Amino acid sequence: MPWDTIHLWVRRLFIPILLAIPFFTDRYVQYVLNLIMIYVVVGIGLNFLLGYAGQFAFAHAALMGIGAYACALLMSRLAFPFWIALPMAGVAAMLVGSLVALPAMRMKRVYLALVTLAFAELIQWILIHWKTVTLGTDGVSLPPTQLFGYKLTGDHPMAYVILFVAATLYVLGQRVVTSRFGRALVALRENEIVAQCSGINVTKTKLYVFALSSFYAGIGGGLFALALGFIVPDGFGLFQLVVHFSLVVIGGLISMYGSVIGAVVLTALPELLRDFQWLQEIIYGFTLVIFILFMPDGIAGLGKRKGWLPREILVRNWRDLEQRQRSHASQEGRK
Amino acid sequence: MDALTLTLAGIANGSLYALVALGLVLIYKTQDVVNFAHGEVLMFGAFAGYTAYRIVGLDYMSSFLVAIVFCGLLGAVTERLFFRRLAHHHHITLAMVTVGLSFAFKGLARVPFGADLYTFPPLFPDAQPIQIGQAIVTLQNLITIAVAVALTTMLFVFFRITTLGKQMRATQQNLLGAKFVGINTGRVFSLTWALACAIGGAAGVLLGPSSLLYPDMGGNFLLKGFAAAVLGGFESVPGAIVGALLIGVIEKLVGGYVSTAFEHISAYCVIIIVLFVRPYGLFGVKPIHRV
Amino acid sequence: MSPLLLSASGLTVRFGGLIAVNEATLEVTEGEIHGLIGPNGAGKTTFFNALSGLVATASGRVELAGVDITALAPHDRASLGMRRTFQSVQLIPQFTVLENILIGLHDQIREPVWRSLFSWSGRSRAEDLAQQQVLDIVRMLGIEGALFRVPAELTFVEQRLAEIARALVSRPKIVMLDEPAAGLSPSEVTALNQLLRRLRNDWNLTIILVEHVLSLVLDVSDRVTVLDRGKVISRGTPQQVSSDPQVKIAYLGDDDHA
Repeated sequence: MPWDTIHLWVRRLFIPILLAIPFFTDRYVQYVLNLIMIYVVVGIGLNFLLGYAGQFAFAHAALMGIGAYACALLMSRLAFPFWIALPMAGVAAMLVGSLVALPAMRMKRVYLALVTLAFAELIQWILIHWKTVTLGTDGVSLPPTQLFGYKLTGDHPMAYVILFVAATLYVLGQRVVTSRFGRALVALRENEIVAQCSGINVTKTKLYVFALSSFYAGIGGGLFALALGFIVPDGFGLFQLVVHFSLVVIGGLISMYGSVIGAVVLTALPELLRDFQWLQEIIYGFTLVIFILFMPDGIAGLGKRKGWLPREILVRNWRDLEQRQRSHASQEGRK
Repeated sequence: MDALTLTLAGIANGSLYALVALGLVLIYKTQDVVNFAHGEVLMFGAFAGYTAYRIVGLDYMSSFLVAIVFCGLLGAVTERLFFRRLAHHHHITLAMVTVGLSFAFKGLARVPFGADLYTFPPLFPDAQPIQIGQAIVTLQNLITIAVAVALTTMLFVFFRITTLGKQMRATQQNLLGAKFVGINTGRVFSLTWALACAIGGAAGVLLGPSSLLYPDMGGNFLLKGFAAAVLGGFESVPGAIVGALLIGVIEKLVGGYVSTAFEHISAYCVIIIVLFVRPYGLFGVKPIHRV
Repeated sequence: MSPLLLSASGLTVRFGGLIAVNEATLEVTEGEIHGLIGPNGAGKTTFFNALSGLVATASGRVELAGVDITALAPHDRASLGMRRTFQSVQLIPQFTVLENILIGLHDQIREPVWRSLFSWSGRSRAEDLAQQQVLDIVRMLGIEGALFRVPAELTFVEQRLAEIARALVSRPKIVMLDEPAAGLSPSEVTALNQLLRRLRNDWNLTIILVEHVLSLVLDVSDRVTVLDRGKVISRGTPQQVSSDPQVKIAYLGDDDHA
């Protein structure tokens, strides 16, 4: 199987196809596709934290909620346009996430999980009970999205906004993980002692990854609000969190492709099983367990081992280096 | 509501939290696993007791025993099936498995019990609240405290005096050493889980009367149990108990004097504040790393 | 007389009631290979950990190139030019040798975040430079072919050399090697011996070597310090130390009390 050629063509055609699709789909299908792209953003954010950096933190769904509410409230209460409200949603989530992280970073690993869980519950409680601001369980309606006076209502116009944001954040994410920061995250996950003795400031790195992950969660939440047009506090609790976890574990930890794969698999499924929450829970729960037991690096991991997916080495332009090394080696061989 | 009434109610709740915390600490000390599914164990206990009592028609005591045995078995089976093979994995892996199980268990419980809210009658449904000085306390609360104390004492005795208990303590302290001495560590692990889950199931039945039964009920108690274990440093059993009682009382006092809306949230705030100030808990010790 | 590069004075490390390192003093001059030997349990690795900043010291002072580093965190000491390897090879299992060694260059890959993230092509000058440094070091150590392999695919020697490469790639002032010869065949030990000499002669690199393979450490070291039960019992040239009766007793036991 000429996988390299296939990879090349997928890379070339991916964006053009996504740009063309909205012309051929009905509203519902496009809505699902939009959700998938949103969960790609959410998944990448969680993958930074749980996958690359190995930090077991439970606040991701709550931070998504903060992003959603920030975006919704800025647009409905303060009449901000979406292209200001959305980035600010990311920033809001980033600030809260960093605040949560500050004490949590220094603690024993199990405490990180607990503190972030406690914070997540606290955030949810605030979203429900701070009625003057968040309107509590009544939920918040967003005004129609506008760009230069043109209304962008509907799943098809929104698709382009979401695609633009998701694609940009994906490329950004790629660059982050192939930088010294990305490598430091994995070092941090696997062996803090080696990381420290190699000059990595572990505390600072942890803070940065929490901030980054929270930013992505916030943007994901903002996009979610834009796509749905209406949000309630309920949607950002434990159920949402397990969706996030399942997404990255099933898709593949420590992998950009994994976030995409996980988003596709895990968005399609709940839509099909929408009326059967209990069935969703059972499937998610057991699938998570089975993957952890038998396929801990997820579908992406399997794909990389079998060659269906390219290697993900956290080094910029590593293929050029490999080329140079191979030609150097064959030169040496000829001597 | 005066302070003493609230305090007594808080101690009753705290006793339940203590049972949950005990189970968490037991499992953590033995296998370094944080069991995020422990709330669901409690929920299963409650529903098992309910099924025995309301549906099968057994008496209260028998239902209690049914719940304890059911949860104990569940714990042992879960350990054997899932955690035996994961013993050497990354702690994230282990924790994630418990998260997944927690979800699956909730879904499973929803099949028979998802459609409605269920109630469990108290042991003595016609009993009047008892007056102790200025305070009023329900008989059920007193029973809860008494049972919790009884269980904790039995556990304490078990660990100190019986051979099996000593074997479990040995395995906790030094796994390799225990193996060398010939202790069947696999059996110890199963028994630890069984014991931890049995206590959790007991808590589930005890809280039945004071709460509605529904599949999501476990989450709240899990967090309170965590909060208690965290206060105790997650390594110390007495610490967890003290922590649990503290949380139960603080909750009720906040709920009584500030507002009921803040009652549940106060436990979470306690976790956050305590960990800010003392990252290793009230009784915990900073771990020593060897390279 | 070369200046002192590293000096540790009066270093004490306690684990609860156990005194692992007892008022130990070490002086390493620039450009020398300094051996640290002693029987098992003497506290050599703990001493290394104290020098790296991984364990807290109850008392004592550590100076690197005249700078008091006693209160510095491990990553700050690393940035000041102190690198090390570990008793059991600590490579990141998911990483290729390339990525593993690049970890060693972490604090030297400096680039404004904007340029690294937002450049149109995605190329990064700092990364390219770092990659070249990695290429140079793996060529020097002879493990170039392993560059794109993960630790599980390497031989034991290659793993050891990869870890040493990670320590060396940043051109540190001082490198501390914890039992690098353990598990190596005699020819591999000889190769290691020659590598250490090259590093000292060509790079003017200062090396502290904890080692049990006495044939290596006594041959390659310029000076040696001997530790026994946490205390320094002897120091000097390899010849002086190997003929010191205290050292013999520490290793072989006291004949009179047999």
